[in-house]
Amino acid sequence: MAAVNAALARAMLRLFAVQGSYNYERMLGVGVGVAEEPLLRDLADGKYQPAVARGAHFFNSHPYLTGLAVGAAARAEHDGAAPDQIERLREALCGPLGSLGDRLVWAGWLPFLSGLTMAAIALGAGWIAVGAFLIVYNIGHVALRWWALKAGWTYGTRVSVALHHPVLQKATALLGPAMGFAVGAALPLTAAYLSGPFDSWARVALAIVAALSFLALRWRGDLLNGLRLALGISAVALIIGLIWP
Amino acid sequence: MNLPLEILIALLVWGTLVGVDLVSLPQMMIARPLVAGTIAGAILGDIPTGLKLGVVFELLQYDILPVGAVRYPEYGPATVAAVATAHASSGVLGLGLGALVGLVTGLLGGVTINVLRRVNSRIVHAAALTLESGEPKALVRLHVGALLRDALRAALVTSVGLVLAWLARPLLGVVLSERGAVLLAVAVVATALAAGAAGTLRLVGRGPTLAWFAAGLGAGIVATIWLR
Repeated sequence: MAAVNAALARAMLRLFAVQGSYNYERMLGVGVGVAEEPLLRDLADGKYQPAVARGAHFFNSHPYLTGLAVGAAARAEHDGAAPDQIERLREALCGPLGSLGDRLVWAGWLPFLSGLTMAAIALGAGWIAVGAFLIVYNIGHVALRWWALKAGWTYGTRVSVALHHPVLQKATALLGPAMGFAVGAALPLTAAYLSGPFDSWARVALAIVAALSFLALRWRGDLLNGLRLALGISAVALIIGLIWP
Repeated sequence: MNLPLEILIALLVWGTLVGVDLVSLPQMMIARPLVAGTIAGAILGDIPTGLKLGVVFELLQYDILPVGAVRYPEYGPATVAAVATAHASSGVLGLGLGALVGLVTGLLGGVTINVLRRVNSRIVHAAALTLESGEPKALVRLHVGALLRDALRAALVTSVGLVLAWLARPLLGVVLSERGAVLLAVAVVATALAAGAAGTLRLVGRGPTLAWFAAGLGAGIVATIWLR
């Protein structure tokens, strides 16, 4: 038991760097192989190296939930599952883990806390809001990574059971609305905070440019993104500023 | 921007850590502009500027949903460079110039991420036979090599950002009129707010979350008016 826990802890540490060798050929595959390797060390001689090689094949999903695939594949190797069954398991997990992680973290937990933090800064909380963001976010982050690895290791090829965990379903359902509310509330507060040093004419200009930019991003999102638009409008403002004393 | 060497080194190290955190290790969100900017401000002894630029780039970050192999600008080291720029110029001029330097650095950072992934792809492709042998040391070596390349990339992006920060004030700050400085600041703040709103609406979609977004927006407007 102690050996398994030590191997899980090693795998967990390596999972923090699972995207370290991100590439367009195997995506997270190499990182997944590196993270899975400590869990495969006690396999018999003839099984260890083929299992390590399989672990490094193509894989892509949300990084925080990759542990689920790592644990499940390692458990399947220990349970003597056929190599093609393990390959199919990994392939089958890519989509659901990516989709769940994106909804739960990138479109939920992260923007929810980021919105709260921006609102808190605008209300004068200062750096304490940023410190709280880091701590609270990472409690969720590390807990999710650890749960995913443990669940994968526990369920093996039956890992789909873990994906239907009621806490995950509830969290996904709650975080979307919470994120919408938090960011919605943060936007006007942030606008007031950032426009604080502006004169009244500059505030009117800010409202007009922001409204036009928003419309441009909504209607021509296929051509424009925030960076391109910001660079373009800044370049125009810079030229006007240089020639208009 | 004339900063002591130890401050420049601290900013370079911080920008590198922030750049590595974005994708490679450990994704604890120090790459988030709010965090990157605040710590950069603390290094410079100017947390309010760090917070302000952090909020501007955080709004721009909402434009990005880092799913799959999507390409995106890198706003972490960009925010560090932006804060360094803004610290050298006070008030609205600092906000505008800082954001401009940050936007260019963010663009460069995004390009280098794509280049790095292509380089990694070639290396992984060339090592296919070794990987198929299941030799764990070779696997770890390949992975650690890629991590080091990302650290080098992040350091390079931060360095270029700090050079731009150093050039911004003598090249633009001294020739820009007061009105010009305000216009520049208005441009970046307005587009950041627009990107934040448009990006959030993409996340929210048309379902019931939209009603929550509208309710939040209403609450934010009421709070803003009440606090004036």
